[in-house]
Amino acid sequence: VSYVLAGYGVTLAALVGYGAWVLTRGRRYR
Amino acid sequence: MNDRRGTGSVVTMTLGIAAFVSLAATYAIGLTLPKTYEQGDYSKLIAIHPGLAWASYVAFGVTAMASVLWLWPRTRSLTWDLLAGSSAEVGVVFTALTLITGSIWGRPTWGVWWVWDARLTLSALELTLLLGYLALRRVPADAEVRGRRSALSALLAVLVVPVNHFAVSWWRTLHQGESLSLTPKDTLDGKFIFAMVLGFLSMTLVYAWLTIHRYRLARREEDVVTDDLDAALEARRREAVTS
Repeated sequence: VSYVLAGYGVTLAALVGYGAWVLTRGRRYR
Repeated sequence: MNDRRGTGSVVTMTLGIAAFVSLAATYAIGLTLPKTYEQGDYSKLIAIHPGLAWASYVAFGVTAMASVLWLWPRTRSLTWDLLAGSSAEVGVVFTALTLITGSIWGRPTWGVWWVWDARLTLSALELTLLLGYLALRRVPADAEVRGRRSALSALLAVLVVPVNHFAVSWWRTLHQGESLSLTPKDTLDGKFIFAMVLGFLSMTLVYAWLTIHRYRLARREEDVVTDDLDAALEARRREAVTS
């Protein structure tokens, strides 16, 4: 089960992390 | 210039909600899939891994299409160049995740994290090509030169995608063959097919949402460069007039 959770976890973390990075950089521009 | 702060709009808000809901459903359904005889719990990864791979193909496809539209003189516009670059960057995330989740799936089922077979090697090559493409885009050049060399390299890189897609049929690999086909032989159970198709949908929506935001960010960055250049030119002109 830990492999399954690792797969789901890393996917969620990467998508959320990358999305947050793009949104944060976008907020610097008006 | 736009007065709105950030890269959001009604379109991205709607798309974002759809992506979030479908991704949440993919997680809920994927994590509650039943154990299978051959793989036990590990078959649960079917809800995310094929979807991630699919989204990485979509990213490649959009980059290639935008590159063609840039190369075609009648449609040439900075928009296509920036979209190609944005899609490739989002593609890096999906390709890397495809490799990571595949590796996590491989360890308990094949007994190895990695093996240099056709499917895995070509997927690693795709990631390398995308990173190379992004590096090439960062090499200083004017917009025209950057656009041409980026577009041509993207069109060369995309050739790997169909080869990778058919790799599991053309060569003997450890990776399983096509999971979905028009003439299915060993069909998956309906629940697993549903989870996988939902994964395709949610990853595509997440890809689209990320790419639109990334494109708008690229556009803002480009505007700032242009504005700075205009301001600098204006300053020099004023110097010339006063001296």
